[in-house]
Order: sequence, then C-alpha cells, then structure tokens
Amino acid sequence: MSAGQAVFSGWMEIADKAMHEEARRRAEEAAIAALVSQYAGTLYRVAYSVLRNASDAEDAVQEAFVRVLRHRDTLHEVRDQRVWLIRIVWNVVLDRKRRMKTRPETDDVAELARVLPAAGLSADERVAAAQHHAHVLACVEQLPAKERQVLMLSAFEELTSVEIASVLGISESSVRSRLFRARNLMAGLLEHTRSLR
Amino acid sequence: MKTEIRDQRSEIRTSGPSEFDETLRMVARLSPPEGLEERVQVGLRTVSPKARILRWPEALRLENTWMQNLARAAAAAAIVAVVVGGGWGVSSRFQPNQPTSAIAVPPLVTSQGGFSSAGAMRTPQTLNGPVVAHPATVAPETAKPAAKHATKSPARQVKSAPVKTPIPPTVR
Repeated sequence: MSAGQAVFSGWMEIADKAMHEEARRRAEEAAIAALVSQYAGTLYRVAYSVLRNASDAEDAVQEAFVRVLRHRDTLHEVRDQRVWLIRIVWNVVLDRKRRMKTRPETDDVAELARVLPAAGLSADERVAAAQHHAHVLACVEQLPAKERQVLMLSAFEELTSVEIASVLGISESSVRSRLFRARNLMAGLLEHTRSLR
Repeated sequence: MKTEIRDQRSEIRTSGPSEFDETLRMVARLSPPEGLEERVQVGLRTVSPKARILRWPEALRLENTWMQNLARAAAAAAIVAVVVGGGWGVSSRFQPNQPTSAIAVPPLVTSQGGFSSAGAMRTPQTLNGPVVAHPATVAPETAKPAAKHATKSPARQVKSAPVKTPIPPTVR
C-alpha cells in the first residue's frame, strides 16, 4: 500500500468514526426525548408530592433529566427506566428539600390545599376540605423521615412495594414495616388532634 | 403477571383506605402543568451536548478492549513513575543530618518583664521528725527493752527515734 493510499484510508476511517458518533449522539437524544415525553408527568408528581410547589417540582424534573443526559452513555444498561428515573428525581427532590429547609412548611401546605381538586363542592365545603388536607399533610410532616418517605411513595398507585424499595434503596420487608409504622403513627396523630378539638 | 403486580399493590396498602390516604392519593394524582415536556426538552437542548461524566475524549477513544487496558496500564505506570521520581528527587537533595557528638542546648530565654527564679533550684522537702523538747534521761539498762520492742514495730521506731536526714548541698 502506498503512502497516499494509507493517508486516504486514514481520513476515511476518521470520517466513518465521526459519522458513527453523530448517529450515536442522535440516537441518544431521541432516547432521552422519548423518556421525557413518557415520564415527565410521573416525575413531576413525585417531585410535587415532596416539594409542594409547582415551579420547584418542575425545576427538579429538569435537573433529573439533566442528570440523565450526563449519564446517557449508561442508558442502555438500565433495566427499569421508570424506577431509575423516579429514583433520580427522588434524590434531586430530597437534596432540594434539605436546602430549602428555611422556608416555613405552612406555606407549602396552604398552597397544596389550594391546588387540590375540589370539584362539585360548595364554597364552605371547599374551605373545609382544604383545611382537612392541610391538617393531614401537616401530620405527614411530623412523621419520621423514613416512614414519611415510604408513606408518600405508597400513595403512587403505579409503584409496587418492590419498586418503592428500589427507589429508596432498601429491602421490601423494610418498606412494609416502615409503612405499617407510618400508618399507625398517622392514625395516632390524627386521633390526638381530634381529641384536642 | 398482572395479577401478581396487582396483589403487590393491594398488599402494600394495608387494611382499608384511611382518611389520610385520600389526601395523599390526591397529591399523587395531580396532573402536571401544561407544556411541561416541551419546557424540559428546551431546557435539555440548552445544556451542553458535551456534558458527560468521566468519558474519554473522542481523539483518545480506543475500539479494542486490550488497547484500552494497555492505555490504562500505561497511564498508571506513568503516575507511579512520576510519584517515585519525585520522591527520589527530594530524598537525593536533602541528606539526612549526621549524628552530633554534643547536644546543643538552647539558651534559656526569659520573658521580658516577668519574674525569674534568679538561678535558685528547688530542693525537695525532707521529712522532719518530731523534735523532742526534753530529751529523756533514761538509763541504758532500761532503754534496751524499748529498743528491742522498737525493732519489732518499725512505726514506733520512727516515732521514738527521729531521723534527721541531712539536706544535700545544692548545686549552684
């Protein structure tokens, strides 16, 4: 092989590699776009259940997908993308919650009570329902962190106990025991406040 | 399979629905805001496409696994060489101190304006025995049994025969 042929074949190889890279990058972008359209809503709801603020929840979803973008090389290795994404957004949300601890919880609860649907209710009933929701959520905030997290995730009907365990990085039996404790504690808290009234 | 999943979901929500379950489910069912997906997509496009974690640069990407291993081994060897070479360079320039025959004592520096001991050295307090005001004038015959008895109980000996230890001369 002459020197000219070698140089030519080298250039061709570089061009092939560049095309291959471009095709791979486009495939990754398409995969991430599909993930966004499929799971953005679920991730938003998970984020909102903890942060209780629409813009904060949206930011958390955005941050979660940016993390996905950074790890796009390993995207094909993920077995259950839905649980993987929920786990990412869950960690993002907990980080944000820790940083925003200075904000009073009552504001969040008030906003949530305002946002929750109350169709078919009169004005008085709507106020009463909002107060009830706010009270329940205030009780949830009083639970220990581990129990609170399991209780909140268990409210998502699309998550099984195995999936909750995977999101939290604990065993399934721990999920069950924590949920049992959380429910008992919640019943006690609600009963206590009812007796005080 | 579907029934298994449904069983798991029903198991996790133990007993009947409680009053707080409804609130939590309402939160979990909240619909996302309009245009969320589009906003997320736009946000991802603004992020640098080169943003990756721990990825080889394109120019250094090697196709074969053995070549990648070779490159890693070479990098590790280079790091070891730099560390060892640096250590050898430092140790060769700075020779260890030779053992000295006399130990140099740093001069005592007294603080300005403070009190000094004026070179006085502390002498330990020695035990002064009781001083007998009126020495007993006992005949040596009667004193003998007492001495015998004193050998049996050393405590008494100390009391009856005080020992004055001479104070050693202080070294100036």
